[in-house]
Amino acid sequence: MRNPPYEIVLKPYGKALVDLALRREDVICLGADLTRQTETDLFRDQIPDRFINVGMAEANMIGIAGGLARAGHTVFVNSFGVFCTRRCYDQIAMSIAYPNLNVKIVGFMPGVSSPGGPSHQAIDDIALMRALPNFTVVDLTDAREIAQAVDAVADHPGPVYLRLKRGEIPVIFDDDHHFSLHEAKVLVAGTEVCIVASGMMLPAALVAAQELKHHGVSAAVVSAPVIKPLDRRTILDAAKGARLVITAENHSIVGGLGSAVAEALAEAGVGVPMRRIGLRDVFAESGSREFLFDKYGLGVRDIVRAAWKEVGEGRPEPQVKEIQTAPGAYAPV
Amino acid sequence: MGKYPTENIGDLRRLAARIRLNALQMVAIQGFGYLGQALSAGDIYAALFGSGALRPRHDRFIVSPGHYIVVLYAVAAELGLIDPAELSSYGLDGALLEAISTERTPFVDLSCGSLGQGLSGAIGFALASRFARDDRRVFAFLSDGEMEEGQVWEAAMFAAHHKLSNLVAVIDVNNSQVDGTVTSVTTIEPIAAKWQAFGWRTEEVDGHDVGAVLRALKTRQADKPLVVIAHTDILGRLKSFPPTVDGHFIKLDASLQEVVIRELENFDA
Repeated sequence: MRNPPYEIVLKPYGKALVDLALRREDVICLGADLTRQTETDLFRDQIPDRFINVGMAEANMIGIAGGLARAGHTVFVNSFGVFCTRRCYDQIAMSIAYPNLNVKIVGFMPGVSSPGGPSHQAIDDIALMRALPNFTVVDLTDAREIAQAVDAVADHPGPVYLRLKRGEIPVIFDDDHHFSLHEAKVLVAGTEVCIVASGMMLPAALVAAQELKHHGVSAAVVSAPVIKPLDRRTILDAAKGARLVITAENHSIVGGLGSAVAEALAEAGVGVPMRRIGLRDVFAESGSREFLFDKYGLGVRDIVRAAWKEVGEGRPEPQVKEIQTAPGAYAPV
Repeated sequence: MGKYPTENIGDLRRLAARIRLNALQMVAIQGFGYLGQALSAGDIYAALFGSGALRPRHDRFIVSPGHYIVVLYAVAAELGLIDPAELSSYGLDGALLEAISTERTPFVDLSCGSLGQGLSGAIGFALASRFARDDRRVFAFLSDGEMEEGQVWEAAMFAAHHKLSNLVAVIDVNNSQVDGTVTSVTTIEPIAAKWQAFGWRTEEVDGHDVGAVLRALKTRQADKPLVVIAHTDILGRLKSFPPTVDGHFIKLDASLQEVVIRELENFDA
C-alpha cells in the first residue's frame, strides 16, 4: 500500500472493459451520452460494433440492457451515478434486479466529488441499489481495484452496481493487491478505533489512522469496497474489542456503508459505539471537491475528530492536514 | 390443436372465441379480473399465434402490460404451449398463472407489470438477434394507455434510429385505463401520426378483424420497425355486458357469466 500523494492514472475502467470485451464476445457496452466521461470512448473506438449510445434515455437503456441480458449477453451500462440509479429506479428493479440478469451498472462521479450540485451528486445511489434484491454493490476509487473489478463483476452471474471515481484515478495499492467481491480487507491493524471505509474515503481513512497512531491511538483501517454483500466476518472481527467504530463514505449516512456496518454490528450484538462519516441527511451544493468534502465533513480531520471525541481522554484534538491534490486533479463536469 | 397454424379466417375467429371463453372461465374463478383485456385483444392474439405469423419458441414475444397476461394463458393453453390444466388455478394462491405476470410466468420472453417498459426490453431482444444474425422477429404487445409513459417514446425513437426491422409492436387501442377511457384522461391521438413521426411504419386496423390484423403483421420493410395499431372494444363488442361495466377490471356475477358464455358459445365464425 502506498502513501499520498498517489500516482494518478487515467481510464483504468475503460481500458479494462476493452480488454474484457476483446476476450469475451458476449460483452456489450451501453451508454447515455456520457461516453468520454465514463471512459467508454475507448470501447466505442476499438469495438464499435458492440458499443451502443442510447442517448439521454436512461429508462430505455436499462430496459434494452435487460433484453440483451435475457438473450445471453453480459451488458455494461454506463452513466453518472445519479442518472443510472435514481432516475431509472423502477426500470432497474423490474428489468434487471428482479429477473437477476447479468447487467453491470457503472455509475461515475460519486457523492460530492461532482461540482455540479445536487442534480449531479450521487449521494443516495448506494442506498438505493443496496435495497434491491440480487444486486451486488461496489464502491471503488483505486486504479488497481477498478481494473480487477471489471473482470470480477463480469464473472459474477447477476446484477452489479459499480460506483467509480471519475477523472484522475489514484493508485493506492501495490501490484500484488487482489480485489475480491467477497472480502473486506484489514489494511492497517489497530485496537482502539476501527475505521471502515469505502471508495473515495479510503485515502482519508488511511491518513487518519496514521495521524491517530502518531498521537498515541491505535486505529485499524478496514477497506470495504463491497457494500453488499458485506463481509461481516472481517468487519466484526476488526470491531470487536475496539472502543469506537467509524464508517467513512462519500455518500449519505442513510442507507450506505454506515448503515450496512451498523446492521452487522447490531445483529451480532457487538456493543461498540459507532460514528458515521458521510453526508448528514442533506443535499449539498455546487463547489470544488475540496470545498465540498471540507464543508460536509468528509476529511481526515473529521475522522480524527470523531475518534478523538471518544478516545481522546479530554486531551487537545490533534491538528491534521488534509490530503493535498494537485490543482485540477479532480475532473470537473 | 392440429388445425393451427392456419390462415383460414373462420378458424382464427373460432380461436379468438376460445381465447375469450378461456379467459372468462379463468376470471370467473375469483368473480372479477382482467377479462376486458382478453375481450379486446382476443382477435389480435388469435392472428399472432394462430396464423404462424409468430413462430412460438423461435420468435420473441413480449407482453408489455402484465395485466394482459390472461390473454396469453388463454391462447397458449388452446395451442398446447402451456398445460391447459393450469388455467383452472389462475390467480389462486400459489398458482403458476398469476393475474399480473411475473418472472414465473411461462412461455413469454418478457412481460412487465410496471407499464411502459416492454418495448425497451423488446429492443434488447431485437439487437441480440442482430448481433446473432438470426431471423427471429420480436413481437412486442402494448396497450394504448401505456403510451402515456415517456419510456415508450424513448424506445420508439431508438428503434427507428437503429432501423430495427425485425421488431413489431402491436398496440391494443381499446380506449380503457384504470380511471376510465384513455381519451378522458389524456389525448393520445393521432397515434399513427406519432409513430410515423418517430420513424416507424404503421398499419392501422380494426383489431376485431383477424384478417386485417394478419395482413398487417405480414407486411415487411427492410429498414423500419413496424407498429400495428389495432382499434378494439374493451368488451370485445359483446352485447351481454351492461353499458356501465368497468372494462379494465370486470366483475362477473353468476348470471352475467352465464349470458356471456352463451353469447361466446353461440358465436358464428
